[in-house]
Amino acid sequence: MRDVESMVVSVGSDELAFALQPSAQIVDYLGFHPKPSFRVEGACASGSMAVRTGWMTVASGLSDLVLVVGAEKMTEVPTPVVTEALGKGGDPMWEYPFGMTFPGYYALIARAHMARYGTTAEQLALVAVKNHRYANLNPYAHMHKEITVEDVLRSRPIAEPLKLYDCSLISDGAAAVLLASEDVAREISKGSGKPPIWIVGLGLATDALSMSEREDLTTLWGTVEAARQAYRMAGVGPTDIDVAVVHDCFTIAEIVAYEDLGFCEKGAGGKLIEEGRTHVDGDIPVNVDGGLKAKGHPIGATGVAMAVEITKQLRGEAEPGRQVKDPEIGLSHNVGGSGQHVAVHIFRREG
Amino acid sequence: MEFERFSLFLKHTKVKEFTEWLEQGEVRATRCPRCGAVHYPPRAECPKCFEEGMEWIPLRGPGKLVSYTAIHVTPDHFTPDFSRQAPFSEYLYRPAPVGIVELAEGVRVMGWIVGVPPEDLRVGMELCPRAEVLKDGRATVVLVGKERE
Repeated sequence: MRDVESMVVSVGSDELAFALQPSAQIVDYLGFHPKPSFRVEGACASGSMAVRTGWMTVASGLSDLVLVVGAEKMTEVPTPVVTEALGKGGDPMWEYPFGMTFPGYYALIARAHMARYGTTAEQLALVAVKNHRYANLNPYAHMHKEITVEDVLRSRPIAEPLKLYDCSLISDGAAAVLLASEDVAREISKGSGKPPIWIVGLGLATDALSMSEREDLTTLWGTVEAARQAYRMAGVGPTDIDVAVVHDCFTIAEIVAYEDLGFCEKGAGGKLIEEGRTHVDGDIPVNVDGGLKAKGHPIGATGVAMAVEITKQLRGEAEPGRQVKDPEIGLSHNVGGSGQHVAVHIFRREG
Repeated sequence: MEFERFSLFLKHTKVKEFTEWLEQGEVRATRCPRCGAVHYPPRAECPKCFEEGMEWIPLRGPGKLVSYTAIHVTPDHFTPDFSRQAPFSEYLYRPAPVGIVELAEGVRVMGWIVGVPPEDLRVGMELCPRAEVLKDGRATVVLVGKERE
């Protein structure tokens, strides 16, 4: 901690933190003052905003060693209060008056995707089953409980057609990564014997706040654009990705992400999960940490936890049963709200 | 936090006329007098050309239903406190469907879907946006079947 020169903090909601300066709480707790720290946000993509800001802090030469911290406490208030705080991640003036919630926004996406591409409730359920299976192997996951397709289909409706088991969790959680300049990273690597993991691609895109201002509800254009930027910067394409974590705040979101990131054709996401190709031994393993769905989704921590998971995977440090075989390139995909802010990061292990 | 008339804080914005139109029975969008772009939600300044002084145009439909849902787990301001009313009776609560219609003007409008049984809803069906003043005096946007026009 003594060597860390600055810090970037990600907290999604100051309503849930009950503080306008959540960075100050974390600075206090870590005894970090008087060194630089501030908070960034982008709703559920806040964590990736922090990783990006940390990268920029190093790349600008301001600091050689930056601590990126993401945190959220969500379980201390009743569900309707969390639902309302998160619902305001959507359009608070024009869509919240219709009782819209986050499950509601993704329900609109699910219904449109089902109508156009024939995606089924069973295919959505398979995403939940997969992610619960891998969460069960991840000691840091919130939920350690395997489920079946039947469990998902029989669970109570949250926002039709999404059911309880289609939804990610209301969780408390935190995650942190250290970002270092090339020289410092090599020095740390020499001491620890662990290979440095380089951030080689960064993409960030935005889209309309209102769902009613989107041209197409079956795709998140923010994902398509952020992925384009990140692939281009890294000089790789979707088929080069060995392991990915995507923003599965709802099961439909993982299926749409498969398509928008280029892991399959548009409309073929349901088939991709049906064929088991996103499992740990498939051609594109996705969310083998349990995802937001079962590892949990403490808003501000999520994007940072994605960087942690890809780092573990690329170093071969994931737990048995969920470690992808010898991956070199990893991708994280983090969505703020229902696609208003989307970040895609690409990571590479030094070979 | 108050839902004055239609929405949070709307009465403090430069498009507060929207609620006045609603109370007069019309759902209105803004149109840029310079570039002709139609905006819904309405805007006081055109995001395309930054012109001010928008015109208000009525949206009557019909439009095509793009997607819809019904929210069962509701946010705080929409959550009835059953413990104070009728204990163990939450099955009485049936969520109202919410949908988005796409109109010929090139905009999409969100509203409560009324008068159509939920099992009859289909993506692509025709619905019309209408203004409705509720019993509590608040105005809202509803989407109704063509026969209710």
